[in-house]
Order: sequence, then C-alpha cells, then structure tokens
Amino acid sequence: MIEHLLRDATRRQRRSTAIAIGLAMVAALAGVALLALSGWFLTGAAIAGAGGMASVRAFNYLLPSAGIRGLAIARTLSRYGERLFSHRAALFALADLRPTLFARLAATDPSRALVRSSGDMAARLGSDVDALEDSVVRKVTVPGALAGAAAGLIAASLAGWPAALVLLAGLAAMRVSSRLIAPRLLTQPRQDHAAALNRLKADYASYAACSGEIAVYGLGAQVIAALDPHARALGGARAAIVRGEVLIQGAQLVLAALTVMGVLALADGGAALVALAALAAAATADNWSALARTDMERLRVCDAIERLETLATLPARQADGAITSETGGITFIIDGRPHVLQRGERILIAGPSGSGKSRMLGTLIGLRRDAPEGLVVGGQDVGALGLERLRPLFAYAPQDAGLIAGTVADNLRLARPGITEAEMWEALEAACLAETVRSLPQGLAEWLGDNGARLSGGQRKRLALARALLAQKPWLVLDEPSEGLDPETERALCQRLSAWLDRTGTGLVLVSHRSGLHALARQMVTLDSVSA
Amino acid sequence: MSAHQSLSATSAPRRRSINAAGQAAGLWWLSDTAGAVLFAACLAAFIASWTAEALTAQAWGLLAGIVTSGLLRAGVQAMAGLSGQRTATRAKSDLRRRVMAALLPSGQLRGRLIGEDLRVAIDDVEAHEGLIARFQPLRLAAMLSPLIIAVAVAFASWFSALILLTTLIPFGAGMALAGLAGKAEADRQFLALSRLSGLFVDRVAALPAILAFGAEDRVARQIGGAAREVAARTMQVLKIAFVSSAMLEFFAALSVALVAVYCGFSLLGLLPFPAPEELSLGEAFFALALAPEFYLGMRRLAAAYHDKQQGQAAERSVAAALDLVHSVAPTAPGVWPDPISELRAEGLTIRYDDGICIGPITACWGAPGLHVVTGPTGVGKSSLLHALIGLARVSAGRIILNDADVAAGALTGLTGWAGQRPLLLPGTLADNLRLGGNGLEPQDLAHLIAASGLSDLIAARGEDLMIDPRGSGLSGGERRRIGLVRAIASGRPLLLLDEPTADLDPATAAQVIALLKDAASTRLVIAATHDPALIAEATSRVVMA
Repeated sequence: MIEHLLRDATRRQRRSTAIAIGLAMVAALAGVALLALSGWFLTGAAIAGAGGMASVRAFNYLLPSAGIRGLAIARTLSRYGERLFSHRAALFALADLRPTLFARLAATDPSRALVRSSGDMAARLGSDVDALEDSVVRKVTVPGALAGAAAGLIAASLAGWPAALVLLAGLAAMRVSSRLIAPRLLTQPRQDHAAALNRLKADYASYAACSGEIAVYGLGAQVIAALDPHARALGGARAAIVRGEVLIQGAQLVLAALTVMGVLALADGGAALVALAALAAAATADNWSALARTDMERLRVCDAIERLETLATLPARQADGAITSETGGITFIIDGRPHVLQRGERILIAGPSGSGKSRMLGTLIGLRRDAPEGLVVGGQDVGALGLERLRPLFAYAPQDAGLIAGTVADNLRLARPGITEAEMWEALEAACLAETVRSLPQGLAEWLGDNGARLSGGQRKRLALARALLAQKPWLVLDEPSEGLDPETERALCQRLSAWLDRTGTGLVLVSHRSGLHALARQMVTLDSVSA
Repeated sequence: MSAHQSLSATSAPRRRSINAAGQAAGLWWLSDTAGAVLFAACLAAFIASWTAEALTAQAWGLLAGIVTSGLLRAGVQAMAGLSGQRTATRAKSDLRRRVMAALLPSGQLRGRLIGEDLRVAIDDVEAHEGLIARFQPLRLAAMLSPLIIAVAVAFASWFSALILLTTLIPFGAGMALAGLAGKAEADRQFLALSRLSGLFVDRVAALPAILAFGAEDRVARQIGGAAREVAARTMQVLKIAFVSSAMLEFFAALSVALVAVYCGFSLLGLLPFPAPEELSLGEAFFALALAPEFYLGMRRLAAAYHDKQQGQAAERSVAAALDLVHSVAPTAPGVWPDPISELRAEGLTIRYDDGICIGPITACWGAPGLHVVTGPTGVGKSSLLHALIGLARVSAGRIILNDADVAAGALTGLTGWAGQRPLLLPGTLADNLRLGGNGLEPQDLAHLIAASGLSDLIAARGEDLMIDPRGSGLSGGERRRIGLVRAIASGRPLLLLDEPTADLDPATAAQVIALLKDAASTRLVIAATHDPALIAEATSRVVMA
C-alpha cells in the first residue's frame, strides 16, 4: 500500500526521475569510459612511440585525447545534474506523500489513529518518511550502476569474451555477497539500536522532570548510572552495525580486486586492450560497490516502510448511525441512573483522578470509545454515533491544550474556516488571554513553540479555550480549563465564560478539579468508581 | 567550537587518549593509500610487461599483488571504520555523562523544556558520532593522502605529480567560493526550513484537536503546501551545495584526463613543449592509475560532509546548553550550623530570560515551624522555592540563614525537597524512599510510611515493590507521597515542598497535613500550596501577588 502511494507520488515526478536516471547512466558510462580510454590511449601511445615516427603518425591521438577531455567534462556535468534531479524528484514526491499519509491517519477511526499519535510516534513517522527520501534518491543508483556495468562489460569484451565473463562473474559475486551478508549482519543490531535509544530517552525524560531532587540530594551520578545500561546497549548496537558495514564493504573491495586480477589474467588482444579492460573493470567494480550502500540502507528503509504500511492501510471510518432525536440533548447514565441535559444547559462532571472524566469527554466528542459510563446523545448511544456525527455538536478544549506549532492565529483558525481577526480577539477576550497576546511582539502573528514565544501551561489552555469558543458549536466541552490559573484570573474567566455561554446559548460539559469554575455549572454528576 | 573543545572538561589523560585514538582512525585511512599504490604499481608493471604469451611467474606475482592490494584496502578501511567508531563511542559516552550531569540538576534553572534537554543530552550527543568516527579521521587523510599520492607519482613522473598538485590551486579557490555561497544560502533558508519541515510531525501529534474541530482537510492541504515549499527551498540550498561536489568531481576527472593526455603525448613524443622527462609505459601507467586516487580522500571527505554538518550543529547546540548551565550554575553546597533558627528572604527578585520578573519577596520563616507560600498560579511560588536552593536565577536581594548571607545553591545540602513530580529510580520502593539519605532506622521509616498513608500500598505490594522510572502502577498521589516521605526521611532540617497535598483526596490530604505538622515540630517546613486545609495549619503565610 505504502509502496503504491510512493509509486504514485514518484510517478508525478517521473520527468525529473527520468532525467536523473539518464544522467546517472551518462555519468557512470563516462566514468568507466574515461579510465578505459585513458588506459588504452596511454598504452597505445607507448607502443606507437616505441615503433618510431611512422607508427606515431599512424596513431590517431587527436580523437582519444579529445574524447578523454570530453568524458571528464561529461562525467562532471552529468553527476551534478543527476544529483539535482534525483533530489528534486525525491523531495517533491515526498511532499505529495506527507499530506496523503496524514489524510489516511485522519480518516481512520480516531480510537485507532490516536493510539499512535503521541509526539514520539509522530516524530518517528516524520523520520520514517524522511528515510524514504533516501530510497527515492537511490533509485537512480541502480540504473547508473547497470549502465556502468554495461560499459565495463563492453570494454572488457574488447579484450576477449573470457575477460568480459570474469567481470560479469565478479560483479555478480559482489551483489550476491552484499545481498546475503547485509541482512544477516545488520538486522538485529539495528533493532537493538532503536530499542536502546527508546529506552534511554524514555527514562531520561522521566528523570529530567525531577531536577529539584537531583540537585538537592546530589543524585546526578545515580541517575546517570541508572541510565548507563541503556547507553551501553546503544553503543554496543552502533558498534555491531559498524562491524557489519565494514565487513560488507571489505568483501566488496576484495571481490573487486579479484575481478580485476581475473580480467588481467584472461584479457587478450594486445597490451592496449588489456589496459583498457583492466581499468574499465576497476572503474566498473568501484561504481558497482555503491550498490552495497543501498543494501545497507535498504534495511533502514524497509523498517520505515513497514511502519508506514500499518499507517497507509488503516481503514477509513465507517459511516455512522444517525441522531434520532432532534432536541440534541445529552444523557449521562451514571450507575444506571440517567441525567438528562437539555441543549444550552451546563453540567460539571466531578470525581477523583482516575475515575475516567477525561475518557468520558473524549468519548462524548467521538475521539474515543472507552467512557466509564453510558452516554446518549440526541437519543442515540454515542457508541453508535461516530466522530462525524458528534463533532458538529461539540467544541473541545482538551486537558493538554493540543496546540499546533504555528502562530496564535494559526491555532485559532483551526476551529473553523473563515474566522476573522475581530472574532479572534473577542474569543481571546472571553478566555482572558487577549492581554497576553497583545503583549506579544507580533500579536496574533507570534509564532508559538520552537523559536517562538513560550506560553505557560495555563496560557496554552486558555488559547485552547479561545479556539473552542470560536468553533460555534452547540456544546462547549472543557477539560480542566483553569488548571494552572490563579484564583483571580480564574474568577474573571468564570464570569466571562458564563456571560459568553448566556449570550450564545451554548451548553457546557465541564471537568474541573477546582472549585473556582464550579459556579458555571448548574448540574453535577459524580464519577466515583476508580476504574482502570 | 570543535569536538576537542566540547570534550574539554574530560580528564586530560582521557582526552589525550581519545585524541590519539581519533588520529589512529585517520592514520588507518591514510594507510589506505598504500593499497592504492600497490595496486597501481602491480597493474602498471603487468601492462608494461604484457605479452601474448602465457603468463610468467612474475606476471602471476603481480596479479597476486593486485589481490593483496584489495585485501590490504579492505583490512585497512575496516580498521579505520572500527577505530573511528571506538573513538566516537568513548567520546560520546564522556560527553553524554558530562551533559547529563550538567543538565539534570539544572532543568528548572534554565527554564528549558524537558524535550529540549532530551534532544541535547541524547540526540545531539549521538549526532557527534559521524563527525568523530568519520569526518575527523577522513579530514586528516584528505589533507595528507593527495601529498602521498603526489610523492608516489613523482617517483614515476614528476611532471604528472606537478600537474596533479597544480590542479589543487583552482580547486581550493573554487571550493572556498562554493562553500561560502552554499553557507549563505543555507543560512538564509534556515528558519523557514526548520519551521516548515517540522510541520508534518507537529500536526500528527496534534491530531486529536484537529479531528475534534474537523480541520483535517484544511490541515492536510496546509501540510502539502508546506512540504512543497520545503522541497522548493531545499532545492535552492542544494543547487549551490552540489556545486562543491561538482567541483570536486570536475577536478578529479580533470586530473585523470590531464595525466592521461600528458603521458600519452609524452610517450608519442608529440608534446608541444620540450619533454621534461623520459617516460616508460610502466611509469606512465602507474601515474595514470594513481591519478583517480589523488582526489579520492577529498571525495570521501565530501561524502562525510553531512556527518560534519550534523556533528557541528550538535556541537553548537550542546555548547549553548552547557554555556547556559555554566552561566547560571549555583555555587557548591556550604556547611551550615545546626540548629537553624531562621531563614529570611530580603527583596529576593527572580528574573527569567524571557523577561519575566518575580518578586521582590521579603519573608521570614522561623524554625521549627510550618510555613506556607500562597498566591495565584504562575505568580512564582515554585520559583521562590527553587530560588532558595539556587535553582532559579536571583537577580537581586538576599537569602539569609541565621543572620548569615547564603550564596545561591549553598542550601542544597540541608534541604529536603519534594517537587511536583518525585524522582523514581529503578529499584525497590524502600530504596526509593531512602534516596534522600540513608540515616533512618527501619522502624522510623515504617512510621513515616504509615503516617503518609502509603501503608496500603506497602501492604498490597510489599516494600520490595520494584519501581520503574515512570512510576507505572503508582497513582499521582502515591508518587507525590513517595517524594514527601523521602524528603522527611532525608533528615534534613529544611523542607521545601511544592503542593504537597495536590492530587490527594481530602482524607489522605488531612493525613499528610498531620504528618507535615509533626515534621515541622523539629524542622523548618516551607510549602507552596493552594490547599485551604494546609494553609489553616500554617504558622505563617506568605502571599505572593
């Protein structure tokens, strides 16, 4: 599937790819021919020179010497062009692939997609797609190497078919050895490497969150010692990978030398042709060994493709059941007792941590299906409705804010298409964030995240809240919107939010530990059973 | 900033041995030239003595020489690769320890996100590998191997050697120009590229929000647009960057062509200038066969260019992180009199890089006693606690202990600390409770465990319960209490606690407050909190606003 997508994407770049392949072939041909012709010219010149003036005059030196210069230039230019066009093809092909993959991920059932949507998975997805770039660039390596091999074989055959046959056998042996050894030597260490790196990172992140204790109790050395087994495993795996790589490349060098020796031993037809065949064989083998690199990279690419395959083959969301009641109310069934919430009403969901409040909200808006209690929306169980039916009803501000890397405005615009600046300020005002945004050097255009402004956790949450307000949905669903807020701001937020809800007639489903916002809701349900 | 500098705090003998090992890999790469010379010599001799007759013993010897050259090169290159890798592994390990030792205790002080530290301590350290294992050894070889090849060629044809060396002049000039242009273009595109290229990853991470708002089509279009822009901008950079490699290719090809044409015309006796030397076929062929090797070292180096870029970017990032640590590093813990009677803050002001300013704070905390710091979230309660132990940057004011001024960080030795998230090291629960110090009798620890309400956990899963760094299987409240018990068990006279009763249900919170009151009968306890129940029990209250 992913191969199919990649093929589609590369097909759109087929002109660049074709040019790159053509140039790669020209470059390989010119490279082999340059050495072969030089060898032949030199030896021929020596023989002619030794034969006296007559044979010198008979020796056509103008054509080969011009050819040598021409080949040198041809090799350079074609290599440059090959690099340029192969990268162009790869970069633009992947530029098409990324949105396609994203669309697949977004089109599947969210309970399936979101399992893999943590930052770590996302980063891996990014590097997996990057790994494909290499494979597309290297696609031109094979035709290039084949063209070089063809040139080498023709050159060697000028010195007789046995020489050509030896070259052919040598090239075959080089391929076989690398194809055979590479997976054997590299698969396991690569897996070990990835595993060790993941463990090291996960543990480091856990420890780094506790800098105060590390500083106070002087636990730095102990933490580093606790990380050491993972670091050692990482170093060991890298060493094993390098060992494998040098073995593979060493085998290529030895086989290349044996091939040149064989060609020399069997070449015939005069010293000049022997020289031509030998240098052609050496250049061809050198070119050819670039394929071994591809074999080593292939494993990395295969891993990436395998992971991307699971993404590319995700099934699309099923058509959802219909909402049967037009009133659009929500019914919470807690411990078998229904709590009915009419449109425009407000409810607080209380309960200790771990009782499933966030899961409840996630299920309500269709992002997950694991609410601890029953939920009915518009007369239909939420399980039977899906994201498509539920999300038009709810504007959600999640506990982790869920901001995107981009400007303040980019984040707000996510809510719906066609939001004006005035609307943005209005929403920021209601979320008690307008002042903060005004104080940013670029205001709404300020970049958040890397190389940009750093908002505090509370500010991020209020930006997520402003975004939810902008969505203009019948219900507002807020998960701990005031966590990280001081009581004063919390009070202001409570007032403004209440006024906003009244004005727009929007209903509210609120999860909040803190009593500051409890005044917003007129009803309350409590989840008390802590379930896993 | 070179790798040598970034290793500068490594012990001198260790550093010397790392440098020596690094040069070993370079020397191995350099010895690869010997294999090339052997190959060229055997090939030239074979061609020069070629006859249509059956191969002589001498010819077989030359063929054996060619195979030997292959074995030699394989062996030498393998040694170069392995030795470079060994050096890199040691250097990375040293660097990682150093970076982690600097970053781990100072995360709060620098105000950096954990993800950023993670990238520096692990990814950036790993990214040094190519630079140390490959680029640096190859650079040594790239500088010296052309000279060795030229000397070898000179034995056969000094004029060919001269031709090869002469090509270095325009080559060097061209590379310098291309390098500058490439760098300028890369710098120009850097910010846009770094922002755009992270877009895909970021949007996948933000998928829940995108799905909730039904924005997936818009975002997919945006990703597509950004990806195409990345491609276009990257091509701008590559167009210029590839000029360098084209230059290298050109001079590599040119040197072969020039040597071939010169030697050919010399052998024909048709040089347009007086022949500088008498050449035999063997000599000429030797020169020709070695000509491609002249630029090989540099071509290898150019192939490792990516390693260099990555490594240097990582070096800059590590250096910046370490500089930041050093610029803010607190002094070493001091020695303080026992008992403590009073801790005071006078006009204490904390200033962060982004201009946020906290304070001035003036407070007096008498010992023993339970004191709370309250105030709106984000006002800087945690910052104040961190400032007391030197983990937040104090720009003005004094910290005074028993009438003596305290330097930043000097109190760490007498502080027991329980932050928002306690540290959990692999080991048993008991080990983890004792991380703050091991002076406590088992029965006293058992008492603390009971008083903090952790006995249920112990009863259910035992004191030997194995803990993992993520605290799997422990609730937020349990983790928080592990930190609290650890701080009290450390036996230190000053306890700084950040929201000790958060995440706890009212009953457990009451238990913990009782425990804190008990601890405060012999210690100075300062807690940042919002909890009215805890505030009610406090001897004093600092309200920050």
